[in-house]
Formats: sequence, structure tokens, C-alpha cells
Amino acid sequence: MKYTTFNQESNDTMTEPMFFGNPVNVARYDQQKHPIFEKLIEKQISFFWRPEEVDVSKDRMDFQKLSDAERHIFISNLKYQTLLDSIQGRSPNIAFLPIISIPELETWVETWSFFETIHSRSYTHILRNLFSNPSEIFDDIVVNEEIKKRASDISKYYDDLIFATQLWQTQGEGEHVVDGVTHSINMRQLKKLLYLCMNSVNALEAIRFYVSFACTFAFAERELMEGNSKIIRLIARDENIHLTSTQHVLNLWAKGKDDPEMAEIAAECHEEAKAIFMKAVEQEKEWAKYLFNSGSMLGLNEEILCQYVEYIANHRMAAIGMGQPFDIKSNPLPWMNNYLSSDNVQVAPQETEISSYLVGQIDSEVASDDFEAFEL
Amino acid sequence: MISRRSNSKVSEKLVIYRVRVEGSDSFQCAKDDKTLLKHIEDHGIEVHYHCREGYCGACRTKLIQGEVEYITDPLAFIDDDEILPCCCKPTSDIHIKLY
Ligand code: FES
Ligand SMILES: [Fe+2]
Ligand SMILES: [Fe+2]
Repeated sequence: MKYTTFNQESNDTMTEPMFFGNPVNVARYDQQKHPIFEKLIEKQISFFWRPEEVDVSKDRMDFQKLSDAERHIFISNLKYQTLLDSIQGRSPNIAFLPIISIPELETWVETWSFFETIHSRSYTHILRNLFSNPSEIFDDIVVNEEIKKRASDISKYYDDLIFATQLWQTQGEGEHVVDGVTHSINMRQLKKLLYLCMNSVNALEAIRFYVSFACTFAFAERELMEGNSKIIRLIARDENIHLTSTQHVLNLWAKGKDDPEMAEIAAECHEEAKAIFMKAVEQEKEWAKYLFNSGSMLGLNEEILCQYVEYIANHRMAAIGMGQPFDIKSNPLPWMNNYLSSDNVQVAPQETEISSYLVGQIDSEVASDDFEAFEL
Repeated sequence: MISRRSNSKVSEKLVIYRVRVEGSDSFQCAKDDKTLLKHIEDHGIEVHYHCREGYCGACRTKLIQGEVEYITDPLAFIDDDEILPCCCKPTSDIHIKLY
């Protein structure tokens, strides 16, 4: 079916599935098939922040004090996070928007991706402060083998869905030959690609950041790199809400609360989806190994980080009906919670680390005498 | 439900609920401003959480019996028989199971 940016046929979005129904026409939110997505939009927007508001200048002195092994850990994590947010800043838009059929989900995806671009900009903010020329760091992201391995695993599911969608929207269902390769396109297959892609994104939002987060917060526990930690706390808060959205999509499908065919596919592809998650867990553990290959850091080692990944994975997997595959029952890094809770993430004007404050600026610009010219 | 009259002139009713945590202790909690999560923590029981605001789902808990009311709209996914202790309070004796 050809994509149109404004579907002229009047359609009832209340009867549309989330994906692969009619293209959305009017961006209306007065009636919503799945109101949860608008609630997530509101919550996400209420979290708005600007990297420039967080003063990271003290981190430069701290960075000089780090050992070589610790610098490797710190910089490698930033590279990996830069990769993840590079993918997430564009892919939900490109992969999902052309096939979404309800306005509240369409707007959620746009909001979500927008926040990923804030994350990307924040890494540049952090690195610019540490290096007069950060380009070396960015350049390494596309040549570093450890990062490339993860990149291809994540982008593969997006790319497969995007390619199949493009063929379907330009040529329709059937067999199509592109560059000598035959591709068979049918709706069942498209939905399957969507299901696997959503599981891969869910695993990304669920656990792919957590080894990096743990390292960042372990530095902060030693009162090191606290500007960076402040930014990562804001990012972690956003990632939690992204995860909530993918969990909702997966559960709406699996519980038959949306497209009945997606419920069948969820049952049929359960093991394949679980394997995607388990692979992400494995890769996070390998990442921990890579980080500590030239030495450990105070308060953390590979073993405890891997336990933490398993602990987090148990909870995340259980939330989408995949059970708890790992034995670990109690949190091996309980201090992580202090950094992941919203209570501690206030971007308030009175905090010294904040160099400017968006809302404060707006308030102070309206001086009382601005109103004096008004005759009531 | 236990009610009792306080000594102060303004009479306050103290409502106490019993919280039974599967595989762990039971405890009594007063009906107050605290969330169920806080009550569970205050009784030294380890409970998983991140946001403490109802949007991450980390505290997802099974409600085996009883009723709760939400003080913040829960946004995280929960099943019909599950609750988010970080943003609710019991309104009866309850029996829960932590994951
Ligand atoms: S701690 Fe996040 S939903 Fe309860
Ligand atoms: Fe992000
Ligand atoms: Fe994200």
C-alpha cells in the first residue's frame, strides 16, 4: 500500500491497529484507541532538558586524575552510548512512522526519537569539555570492532523492516527482484519483521545501557565525573519511559488487545524474540569484559557487572512474558537505584551544577513593569 | 481494620492495614502519606525500583488479595493482577508477591 502523508479517505482511528492499517490523516487526540501513548508523550515532554544546562566543567579535572584503565572505561562507554543514540535518534521514525495507523502512537514515536537526539547532543557536550578535539573519539565509533558488532545486531532488525516496508509501499505484495535478489513480500512476513524489530528495540532500551550506566554511577559514587553522571541520570530517566512504551506495544499485541494477527505472531515467534533478548544480555556481558580488559575500576568488576545485567534482564524479561531465566534474586548493585530514581533528578535552578535554567529564564523575562502600559 | 482515638483534642482515626508479603514477613502499616513501596522498604524488605513515580515498571508486584489506590497515574505496563507499589497505597489488608 502506497504511503500518503495525508490520507484523504476518512477513517476511524478507533478501529485501526497500531501498525499496518490505514495511514494516519488528522493528528487528533480527542479519541484514542490506546490512550497510554498520549500519557507517555506528556510525561516525556515534562522531562525536557538541555545538555547545556548541566555544567560539566569540573569533570575535566577529574578526568586527569583517572587511571588509564578508568579512562578507557569512561570513553568506551560514551562511544557505545553515542552509537545507541545515533541509531535511536532516527530509526523509530524511519521504521515505524510509515506503518503506524493511530495518531497517539505516531506522536509518541516522534517524541521518543526527539529525546534520543537530545541524548546524542549531550555526548558531544561531555566530550567537548574533556578534549579540545573530540573528533578522534567520534571517528573511532565506526571502526571500533567491539562497537561495530553491537551496531550491526541492533540496526539489522530495523533495516530489514525498513527495506521490506519500502518494497511493499512501492510495489505491493508479491515477489520482487532487487539487484538480482528475489524478495517475497507479504503482510504476514512484514508483521513478523515488525515484531522482531520491536523486540530488538525493547531489549536495547531495557538493558543495553545498563553496563555503561553502572560505570558512570560508580564514578559518581567516588565523587568523580559528576557532571557526566548528572547527564546520564537524565538520560536514564528518559530510557525508562522508552522501555515502558515498547513493553506496552509488545503486551498489547501478545494479549490480543490490538491486531489479532500480531497476537498469533507473538506466540509463534516467542522463542525467536527471547533469543534476541538473550543475545543482547550476552553482548552486554561481553561489553563488561571489554571495558575491564586493561584493568578494573574501584567499586566495580566484570563479575558483579554481569550479575547486575542478569538481575535487570530478569525483571525486564518477566515484564513481557519471557520469565526470569537467571538465578540471581537480589540486586548486586543496590546503590544504582539512588541514581535511577526520579527523586534525585531534579534539574532545579538553585543547584550549582546548572548553568542556566529554561523555565527560570522565561519567568524572569516578564518584568512587572512590562504590564504598566496596559489599561484595564 | 484497627481504629483508635488519639489523645489530642482533634480526634484522628488511625487506620492500620496488614501487608502480607509472599515468602517474607507480614507487617502492619498505618494509612498515611507513604506509598506502599516506602512501607515495604521501612520494614527492611528488599524491593526492586527505579523511578518511584510509576513510569518505569521496575517495582511491578503481584496483588494476590486486597485493594490499593493510586496517588499517581501508573504509566508502566502492569497486568490486571499487578500493582506498582511506588505510586499506590493500600485501602485494605493486602497480600502481595514481589518478583
Ligand atoms: S519504581 Fe518505577 S514504576 Fe515503580
Ligand atoms: Fe537515548
Ligand atoms: Fe531510548
